[in-house]
Amino acid sequence: MASLYNAWGPILDLYLLQLGFAFSQYLVLRAGVFSLATAALAAIGAYTAGILAVKHGVHPALGILAGTGMGTAAALVLSWPLARLRGVYQAIATLAFVQIVLSLNIWAEGLTGGAMGLMNIPRVVGTPGLLAAAVAVTYIIWAIGRTRIGRTFDVIRENEAVAVSLGVSVPRWQALAFALSGAIAGLFGALEAFHSYALDPNIFGFSFLIATLSYVVFGGRKSVLGPLVGTAVLILLPELARPLAENRVLVYGLLLILVINFLPRGVADTLLDAWHRRRLARRSAAAAEALR
Amino acid sequence: MLEVQDLAVSYRGIRALRGVSLNVAAGETVALIGPNGAGKSSLLNAISGLVAKAGGRVAFDGADITRASPWSVAARGLLQVPEGRQVFPGMSVQENLLLGTTALGARPATWGLDEVFAIFPILRERRAQLAGSLSGGQQQMLAIGRALMGGPRLLLLDEPSLGLAPLIVRQVFRALAGLKATGLTILLVEQNARQALAVSDRALVLEQGRIVRQGASADLAHDPAIIASYLGQDEAHAGGG
Repeated sequence: MASLYNAWGPILDLYLLQLGFAFSQYLVLRAGVFSLATAALAAIGAYTAGILAVKHGVHPALGILAGTGMGTAAALVLSWPLARLRGVYQAIATLAFVQIVLSLNIWAEGLTGGAMGLMNIPRVVGTPGLLAAAVAVTYIIWAIGRTRIGRTFDVIRENEAVAVSLGVSVPRWQALAFALSGAIAGLFGALEAFHSYALDPNIFGFSFLIATLSYVVFGGRKSVLGPLVGTAVLILLPELARPLAENRVLVYGLLLILVINFLPRGVADTLLDAWHRRRLARRSAAAAEALR
Repeated sequence: MLEVQDLAVSYRGIRALRGVSLNVAAGETVALIGPNGAGKSSLLNAISGLVAKAGGRVAFDGADITRASPWSVAARGLLQVPEGRQVFPGMSVQENLLLGTTALGARPATWGLDEVFAIFPILRERRAQLAGSLSGGQQQMLAIGRALMGGPRLLLLDEPSLGLAPLIVRQVFRALAGLKATGLTILLVEQNARQALAVSDRALVLEQGRIVRQGASADLAHDPAIIASYLGQDEAHAGGG
């Protein structure tokens, strides 16, 4: 058991952290916002927690709380100009935001450690902490999906004009999705800081953004299972086929092309739909049988 | 109940509405007819706030809603059934209907599922089915039912006959007559002038962004100019769009 954990523990930790970022990305996509800001919001959460711990000796629990809060606040501020944009323009604007945060991070060397990174962050978060956070966030997102909030997000994503005619204030609901997404990104950013001893601005760069987006596109944007499955597959695959691990981004790219072409709704959503339809077909066949 | 004064709408300098004024009183059904591109949908979208106004004033129940956001207009009970049905295909009929209650806000519901099913019995039969599997006419009924669930005080209908077969058009209009009988206030935009005049109390004719005729629907239906432009002589074309 111990050796199993030694071999797979780091991968489990990686999975749990990435799952958090995947859920942050999933929430905005679900509400119809094409935002790529998760990378920047995670960086803000991570550096808030890291700087407070290293430079001011703040207790990690408070640091995690502050990271979550800063992620939320940054997302709320960002949601305001973003409400005026749609689709690919939102993607471009948030991509610029990621680059701005990255540049500021490198520029503000005195505060963030610049390109050298921020060292000596206490390693106080282990697998149990990550697991607790991942379970909590999964539960919260699952619960949101079953309430009016989740349904309203779906309506905005599928048809904004009808959402408006149903009295849905699109900017306000998208700001809510953004705030939740920012809170999750900030939380997992802070957890990453307390899990990894050092932070480096490039962790939260372009490849982070592509990976996070891939988890959701690969798994699916509708059901909660999407990010769970997408993150698992994309993290396990390079590990199982070790030679591929060096070319992780290349593998992601290939898989994405395949999924977008053949399973455009993502692996989990497609399978769930197929299962749902088979159940419906069986039920109506049974009803027809009963009528005979 | 609804007062529109001198309303103007422009799309990048091109004027779609040039000073339109109209009133709808409580309990009335008013039809807006006119050819393609006359500005009928622009008028509805400007009233509901979906399209920005270049001038004029809109008041609903005495409150000025000229600059109100479209969702706050909907929350007041001025509900639009958008053109082209626009149901959520991946949700069941019942889920689509329940979504309509979003528009209620703090207002009490005036229509429940049972009342909607009484007007559109086919929706009761299909309540568990995905909305995307319904026929065009059934989807139109669902879109109207969804708006009813939001407790409309004034219902705006945009081309309910669009793309429907003549037989289905008659079914939809029979349901509209049923709605009118409940005392609901309706503003109807329609290219199918014959059906629109048959179901409404008053009608306005919109051409090139201006109201060119108005009067009681029964009078307009016998007006030679209207017959020549919008109704035609031949009864056989009754259902055409």
